[in-house]
Amino acid sequence: MLEIAGLQVAYGAIRAVRDVSLTLAEGELVTLLGANGAGKSSTLMCIAGALPAAAGAIRLEGQDVTAARPEVMARRGVATVPETRDVFPDLTVDENLQLGAYTRRNDTKGVAEDRTRMFGMFPVLAERSSQPAGTLSGGEQQMLVIARAMMSRPRILLLDEPSLGLAPTIVNRIFEMIATLKGSGLTILLVEQNASKALEVADRAYVMRLGKIEAEGTAAEIAAATDLKALYLAG
Amino acid sequence: MARNLTTIAVLSGLILVMVVATNLLGVRLFDRLAINLCISLVLVLGLQVFMGNSGILSFAHIGFMGIGAYTTAVLTIPVRMKGMSLPDLYPIVAGIELSPYVAILVGGLTAAAVAAVVSYPLMRLSDAAAVITSFALLVVLHTVMTHWSEVTNGPRTLFGLPRATDLNLAAGTAILAIVAAVAFKESRAGLLLRSSRDDEVAAGAMGAHIPRLRWQAFILSALFAGIGGALWGHFITSFSPKAFFLKETFVILGMLVIGGASTVTGAVFGAIIVTVTFESLRALEAGINQAKIFSEQVIGLTEIVLALAMIVVLVLRPGGLFATQEIGALLWRRARKKEDR
Amino acid sequence: MSFFLQFMIDVLSLGGAYALMALGLVIVYGILRLVNFAYGELIMVAGYTMYLTSGSGLPWLVMAAVAVLMAIMAGIATDYIAFRPVRAKSVTAVLITSFAFSTLLQNAALLFISPRPRNVPLPEIFSETVQFAGVITPARNLITIATAVVMLGLFSWLMRHTVLGIAMRAAATNFTMARMLGVPANLIISSAFAISGLLAGVVSMLWIGRVGAVVPGVGLEPLLIAFIATVIGGMRSLQGAVLGGFLLAFMDITLNFTLPQDLLKFRDAFTFSLVILILLWRPQGLIRGPASGQRT
Repeated sequence: MLEIAGLQVAYGAIRAVRDVSLTLAEGELVTLLGANGAGKSSTLMCIAGALPAAAGAIRLEGQDVTAARPEVMARRGVATVPETRDVFPDLTVDENLQLGAYTRRNDTKGVAEDRTRMFGMFPVLAERSSQPAGTLSGGEQQMLVIARAMMSRPRILLLDEPSLGLAPTIVNRIFEMIATLKGSGLTILLVEQNASKALEVADRAYVMRLGKIEAEGTAAEIAAATDLKALYLAG
Repeated sequence: MARNLTTIAVLSGLILVMVVATNLLGVRLFDRLAINLCISLVLVLGLQVFMGNSGILSFAHIGFMGIGAYTTAVLTIPVRMKGMSLPDLYPIVAGIELSPYVAILVGGLTAAAVAAVVSYPLMRLSDAAAVITSFALLVVLHTVMTHWSEVTNGPRTLFGLPRATDLNLAAGTAILAIVAAVAFKESRAGLLLRSSRDDEVAAGAMGAHIPRLRWQAFILSALFAGIGGALWGHFITSFSPKAFFLKETFVILGMLVIGGASTVTGAVFGAIIVTVTFESLRALEAGINQAKIFSEQVIGLTEIVLALAMIVVLVLRPGGLFATQEIGALLWRRARKKEDR
Repeated sequence: MSFFLQFMIDVLSLGGAYALMALGLVIVYGILRLVNFAYGELIMVAGYTMYLTSGSGLPWLVMAAVAVLMAIMAGIATDYIAFRPVRAKSVTAVLITSFAFSTLLQNAALLFISPRPRNVPLPEIFSETVQFAGVITPARNLITIATAVVMLGLFSWLMRHTVLGIAMRAAATNFTMARMLGVPANLIISSAFAISGLLAGVVSMLWIGRVGAVVPGVGLEPLLIAFIATVIGGMRSLQGAVLGGFLLAFMDITLNFTLPQDLLKFRDAFTFSLVILILLWRPQGLIRGPASGQRT
């Protein structure tokens, strides 16, 4: 469904992503692991269209989308949850969700249904629906951005470090939710530093180091690989 | 080093050629044009010293030009004329009558001193806040010039300055300005400031106190502006505060942007190109007006052309004609290429 | 009592006009970080449209609507000519192109119309006075207050209750994230310029209505006012811009009453020094803008 070949991303003279090739099949949950600074987030933001690719190709269902703008990617069913969490702090929770459904804003009925569904999934958001999103706790904000991404009924979800800086109980809940989303047939690319958690839910995994893919395999294979820790420490 | 000397030599050479050619031709019109050009050069180079090195857009520059012009006016208008030119002048200064050459220098120093006092706290701002404060500073200076009747004769035209600026003086000052601008650019302060333009944090980490460096550049820039303004005052001999506001700011900024703000070469070529184009268009406007082709006076054409040129340059060649390299560096590279062959 | 009422009417009418001016400037700055120097010329464009259509015999309201429409078009033109081609380059480049575009429009008016003032048609009611509760005031002031209330209400409704408005507020805090949700950047940018033009057009009717004539430099004063008001209120906050407008009007009118004549002429120097001091003391203004200050 999503295919990336020889991707490079550069910030000025610094190449953050040197050579990344990966594939994502329909309904699959693939995780991209690696240490801080390995280039995972840059890869994800480049797929989302928020960073330009210096070289390589990104194909979505066979069509080239390497140079597509972020709004185009969103319209084509790719929803992104960036690492920085990026709720709109001055907008209410409800307004945040409403914007999530921007690409299908004419489908009033469907949007209203999804909103109810999200509030069912995340009762805490329902309680705070008219509060500014900036007043939410870190965990609540993470739920909000995931819910907001789901409002567009995406076909692919790009998730960047959903566990970052959250308490373990909340991390567990977030991963339960990711499993639920996968169960519903959604295709997910999950970037994580928390490898053990990610490998629990993933089908397949890639390991990145210094901007390149170092290893790939099924989640079980990667989990069994002994040099996993070494990879991290060296990264 | 050799490259910098080449740059200075080429740019000063251009001015000298112009001076010689003007003297040989002996046409008054060209004389006026050449003096105008040299004064613009001083002003543009002043702006380049601050903007080119710090990367911050400053609107206040022309305000300091005004300070230079009014300072020299107060100091040089003959005592017997002061009663008419500046009826409300404070008695303490009313008796002063300095040589214009001294007064021009004092004008520059006054502008630099005012800049030193008011600008220090502003130098830690960047981006929009820096631009708005510099714009606000221009408005403050302009308001003071327009209403401080004791010293400026208020919004009315101030007249009576001795005509002291000839081509030699203007050209000499312009050459000095070129040398100073290149020297500052290549000095330690200039280098650090330029690296701060690209990466403020990194330059700070190298031990540079960026606000202080900007401040130094700003004072030097105001010194140029003050001297340029004083020269202009002794060239035009009568002016009003209107001369030191947005219109003039636009012209000087246009010269710098078209030539390339980051290089001294750009400032010089920008000034030359814009001055020549401007004067030709002015002549065209005057011609049309004299022939009475249209019922109304034709004005504003020159500014329209300059505005369009600025937009086109910024779109197609954002760094201006000389975006990164001085002419010295360009010539040396070309020479080396020839040798290689 | 009647003095107080008079004072309030003065502050509210002047403040209403100032608030609309500031809002028009800040809507573009808040989203694009562009200090639009050509903003004053949008007011000028509306003024000249009034002058050019004055012979048409149309009802005043129709002419005014055309003028406002032209201001909107000029706003969108600012986007296409001065902003979009250099948007990806540097902050400085955008500032300079907007300054250049401002000069371009002003001199086009000089060249094609005239440097001399041109009369614009005014409806009768603009020159009438109203008397109530012991106060005599130009009807124009009351119209200004009413217009400001309507415009601010409309604006607030647009920003809170339409998807476009919500998207614009979102883009003001985090443009990239808004785009990743599918909000097209170009739509947001053009809308910001169009709204800026709308506000400028309406302000123009009120502002030029005070003197009944338009000159090429008419936009400078509103631009300066908008600058001060937005700096006072916080460069990025819409509510701040409105509050800044009213505060500035309050200050202006108070100074008018209290400052001696020979200091009053320096009023601009005082207010602009205040601008500099505020920016130094609280660069984010008296009211903070959107919490996360991410740049686009």
